[in-house]
Amino acid sequence: MKKAAILLIFLFFSCQNQDQPDISFYYWKTIFKLSSSEKIILSDNKVTKLYLRYFDISLDKYNQPFPESPIHFDQKPINLQIIPVIYIKNQVFSSKNLDISDLVSKTITFINQINSKNKIEIQEIQIDCDWTLNSKENYLKFIEDFKQVSDKKLSATIRLHQIKYFKQTKIPNVDKGVLMYYNMGKIAADSGNSIYDKKIANRYLESLKKYPLSINVALPIYSWAIHSRENKVLGLKNKFAVSDIKKDTNFVRISAAFFKVKNNNYKKGTFYKKNDLLKFEAISSTDLLEMAYDLKQNLKEVPNEIIFYDLDDFNTNHYENNIFTQVSSRF
Amino acid sequence: MKITFLRKLVLAFSTALLFVYSIIYACSDNGDWGIFFDSNFTPEAFVDQSYTPLFLSSDFFYSNDYNQFDNGHVSRFNDEIVADWSTFLDGKIKNEDLKFFLLDSSATTVDNLYLNTSKNAVVKNWATKINLKDPKTKDFIEFLYVAQKIETVSTNNSWDYEAETIKRNDPKWVTAIANKYAKTKDSFLKNRYWFQVIKSCFYNNMYDSAVSFFQKTENAVPKNTLYYRALSYLAGIEYKNKNYAKSNYMYSQVFDKCPSMRIVAAYCFHPQENADWNQSLAMAKTNADKAALWAVQGYYADEHVAIEKIYDLQPESQHLDYLLSRLINLRESKGAFYETDKKVIEKYKKTNDSLAKIDLELVARIATAEKTSKPYLWHIAAGYLDTMNRNYAQADKNYDKAANKLPNTILANNQLRLLRFINNLNKIKNITIENQKTIIADLNWLYYEIAKEKTENFRYNNATNWSKTYLSDLYKNQKNVVMSELFARNQDFYDNETNLQAMKTFLSKENKTALEKIAQNSYNVSLADINNYQAVLATYQNKIPEAIAFMQQTDSIQHFQFYGNPFNGNIKDCHDCDHVTYQKRKYSNIEFLNTIAEMQDKVAKKEAVYSNNLLLANAFYNITHFGNGRTFQEINIIGSGSSPYEYKDKTREMITNCSVAKKYYEQALAVASTDEQKAKCIYMLSKCERNEYYNNKFKTVKNYWEMDDDGINFLAWNGFKKLKTNYSKTKFYQEVIAECGYFDMYVSGPRN
Repeated sequence: MKKAAILLIFLFFSCQNQDQPDISFYYWKTIFKLSSSEKIILSDNKVTKLYLRYFDISLDKYNQPFPESPIHFDQKPINLQIIPVIYIKNQVFSSKNLDISDLVSKTITFINQINSKNKIEIQEIQIDCDWTLNSKENYLKFIEDFKQVSDKKLSATIRLHQIKYFKQTKIPNVDKGVLMYYNMGKIAADSGNSIYDKKIANRYLESLKKYPLSINVALPIYSWAIHSRENKVLGLKNKFAVSDIKKDTNFVRISAAFFKVKNNNYKKGTFYKKNDLLKFEAISSTDLLEMAYDLKQNLKEVPNEIIFYDLDDFNTNHYENNIFTQVSSRF
Repeated sequence: MKITFLRKLVLAFSTALLFVYSIIYACSDNGDWGIFFDSNFTPEAFVDQSYTPLFLSSDFFYSNDYNQFDNGHVSRFNDEIVADWSTFLDGKIKNEDLKFFLLDSSATTVDNLYLNTSKNAVVKNWATKINLKDPKTKDFIEFLYVAQKIETVSTNNSWDYEAETIKRNDPKWVTAIANKYAKTKDSFLKNRYWFQVIKSCFYNNMYDSAVSFFQKTENAVPKNTLYYRALSYLAGIEYKNKNYAKSNYMYSQVFDKCPSMRIVAAYCFHPQENADWNQSLAMAKTNADKAALWAVQGYYADEHVAIEKIYDLQPESQHLDYLLSRLINLRESKGAFYETDKKVIEKYKKTNDSLAKIDLELVARIATAEKTSKPYLWHIAAGYLDTMNRNYAQADKNYDKAANKLPNTILANNQLRLLRFINNLNKIKNITIENQKTIIADLNWLYYEIAKEKTENFRYNNATNWSKTYLSDLYKNQKNVVMSELFARNQDFYDNETNLQAMKTFLSKENKTALEKIAQNSYNVSLADINNYQAVLATYQNKIPEAIAFMQQTDSIQHFQFYGNPFNGNIKDCHDCDHVTYQKRKYSNIEFLNTIAEMQDKVAKKEAVYSNNLLLANAFYNITHFGNGRTFQEINIIGSGSSPYEYKDKTREMITNCSVAKKYYEQALAVASTDEQKAKCIYMLSKCERNEYYNNKFKTVKNYWEMDDDGINFLAWNGFKKLKTNYSKTKFYQEVIAECGYFDMYVSGPRN
C-alpha cells in the first residue's frame, strides 16, 4: 500500500513536471553577447532553447527583398539550442512580382551561411511576420515552400487577430505556432497600455480553443516609452526607463506613467520639445501571472514552451529571477 | 562606377528594433499625398529644391513619389561626376561612353583596357571608339581602374553574409592610391585621388589614417563636392568614435555648403544629449557656422526657435526659407484647415490659437523688418498666419506687400492668389449678393481652371474641399438646404421628399446666379439622376407606371442595358454566370419597366398567369442585391457596393428586401398546374427565405469583420422541406440536387 502511495505521488509529480512548459527567451540584439546576468537567468531557469533573431527581411529601394541587420556573434552560444528567427516585413509579401522560390532559397542560404560561419547546428527555424489579408497568399506559399526546402521543423508567430479570424487570415502550414500575447493596443498618447490590455485580450481569449494549430506562447517582459507631441505619437523609445529621466529637470512627472517635457532638450539621441509627453509602458509580475492564468483557462492544451520577449538585462532587471518559473507553473 | 556613400554607417544608424513594431516613426505607405492634399501652402513655390526632402512630411523625408527615405546613395553624384570628367576629357570620349564607364562599366572592361597590352577583343572594340593612347584618356582609365578596386568594398551583395562581415581591400590598394595622390600633378586628377584616399581608408576601417590624411591635406584641396563628401566620411568616423559634437558640427557644414548632400547631412546629424549639442555650438566660430547648426537642428527640433536663432545670426540665410515652410505647414495642420472633427478642433483650439499667435508674432516681426533674402515669402507667411488668427484685414496688408516683390512664377502667383482667396472667403460669415462677388472669380479658378494648368506641386486641393464645406455650412446656417447640398453632398439629403423636390426645382430653373452656377457645376447629381432615383424607388414599391414616367426623364440612363436577362430565375444566384449566358434579347432600364408593365397587365387580364407571375417574381428578385440586375439600383444617388454593408441602413433594407419577388412567386405557386412548376416556385421561395434569414441575422453587424462564424451555412428552409417531401420525383428536383450543394447535403446528409 505504501509503495502504491509513493508510486502515485511520484506519478503525480512527474506528470505535473512534464506538463509545466519549458522556459525560453527571444534574443533580439544584432550582436550576440550574453552578459553574466543574462547567463544566470538562462541557467537558473534551465533554459535550453534560445530564439535568436538572425536577420530581418525588408524591401530595398528597387523593391527587392534583402536581409537587414544580420546578427553577428561576439560569443559562441554554448549549451543552447538555437532557433533562428527571421522577421519578414509584411511589405515583402505585399509587393508585386515577388519571386517566392527565390526568396525561400536566399533566406535558407543566408541562414546556412550564418550557421556555418558560427558553427551552429539547428533543428528548427521560426518565421515572424504580421501578415495581412493582402499578403496572405504570398506568405502562405512562402511558408509552404520554405518547409519543403529547408527540411527543418518550422514554427511561426501568430498574432491574436490571426487566431480569432483564422478563417479569413488562414493558418500557415507550420509545425508549431507561437501566440504573441502582446502588442494588443494602439500605440497612443492615451492612458491605455499598448503592450498588454486585459480588456482587449478578453475579446480574443475565447477563440484560442477553436484554433486548430498547436501553439506555444510568447509573453512580454519589455518596456518602452511612447513619445508624443500634441496627441500624435512621434516614436517609441526602447530600453528607456523612468529612472533615466526621474532626476532630469527637463522632465516633470505628471502621473504614474506620464512625464511632460519642461524645456527643449536632447536625451539619448532624441530631441524633446517643450510640452511633449513621454508615456512609460511596462509589464508587471502581476500582469504576467494574470496572462498565464487567463491563457491556461482558454488554451486547449498546455503549451510546450513559454518564450519571453526579450532576454536583455534592461528587461530582466525589473523582475525577480523566479518570475519565469512562477509564470510557467501557472500553465 | 557606382558611387556609394556612407552606406555602412547609414545602415548602422538605422538598425531598427523590429519584431515588436517595425515602424518607429509614424510612417504611411503612400508617400506624402496626405500632406499634399491637406495643405494650402506650397513650399516649392519659394524654397530651393535642395531642401525638398526636408519639407514637413508625414514620413521621414518629404516626397511625392512614395520614397520616404533617402534613396540616392548610389546615384546622387552621377550627373556631376559625368559632367566633371566630360570637361576634363574635353570631348575625347563621347558622353554616352563616359556614362558607361563611370556609371555602368564592369571591372572587367576597365581591367582589360588598363592592363591588357596584347590587344584583345575588348580593347580592339574600344580602340575604334576612343583613342586609348591619348594621355588624358589613359589617365581616366587608370583612375577608373584604381577607383573600382575601392568600389568593391563600398558595395555589397546583401545576400552574402561573408561579404557583410569581412569585406576589405588588400592594403596595397590603399597605399597605391595614396601614392598616386602624392605623385599626380594635374589638379583635377589629384583632387579625385585625394577623395579616393579618404574613401579607401573609410571603407577599410582605417579611421585614424583617414583623419590624419584629411587634416594634413584639407587646406590644399578645393572646397567642392568631393571635399564635402570626404568631410562626411570624417563626420561618420567621429560619430562612430562617439565624438558626437564634432560629428554633428561637421555634418552642419556639409548641410550648409553642399546642397546635394543636405538630405544626407540631415539624416546623419544626430545629437545625443544637450551637452554634445552645446559643444557643437561652441565649435562654430562664425555666425554662418552657428546658423548652419541651427538650420539642420531645426529639421528635427523646434522650427520656431531655429528661425529665431538663425534670423539673429544671419537674417539673409537661405535656410530660413525651408524652416518657415515647415513652420507654416505645421501650424496649418493644427488648424481647422485640416481637421474635420469639430470635437478635436475644440479640444486643441486653445493651445493651437496660442501657438499660432506666438508664431505669428515672430513671422510678422521678420516680415516687417524686411532683412531676409525673400521678404515677400515672410509677408505671405505672415498673411496666412493672420488668416489663421482671424486678422483678415492685416492678412490683406501682408499679401499686398508680398505682391510687390513676388517672383514672377506661376507657382508663386498661384500661391498668393490661393491664400488671398482663403482670406476673403473666411471674411464671409453670411452670404449676401454683395459679398459673393469677392469670391466668384477665384472659385471658378479654383474649381475649374487650375486643374487644366497642371502646375506641378501646387497644393490647392485642400482649399477646394475646404471652401465647399465652408460654403455648405454657411448656407446650412442660412437654411438654404439646396445650396448647402450643392457644395457638400449629404448622403441622407434625398431621403427627404421636400429636399428632393426643392433640388429638382432649383436644377430646372433658368437664370441662375454666378454662385449658383458654380455650385451646380461642382455638384455631381443631375436632374436625370434624381428622376432615376425616383424611378428606382417607385419600382421597389411596385408602382410601375410611376417608375416608367420617372425613367423616361433620365436622358441616356433609361437606355442602360442589364448585363444579364433580368427575367431569368436560376437555381444559383450567380451574376457572372447570368451575365455571360447568351441572351437573345437585351433589356434596357426602360424596356425592363415596360415589360413589367405588360406582364402585370397580362396577369390582370388572366393571360398566362403562371408564367407572367414567375417572370415578374424573377424581375423583382433580380433587382435586389442578390439578383443579376444590380445595375438597376447601383445609381448615383444610391451608390454601389459588393457587400450590403457598404450601403447605409435605409438603402440596405430596400435593396435586400425580396418581399415583392416573394409575393409574385407565391402567386405563381397558387396558379401552378404541374409539379414541375410548383417545385420551381417552392425552390425560388426558399431563396427568398434564405435571404431574409441572413438579412435578419446580420442586421446589427456593422462590417464584415464583426460577423461571428457560427458555422451555419444554411438551414432546412421550408422550401427545402416541401421540395424533398412532395416533389422528389420532378426533373427540377434533380436539377436542384445537381446545382445546389446545400440542398443536396440537406437531402443526403453531410459527406466526409
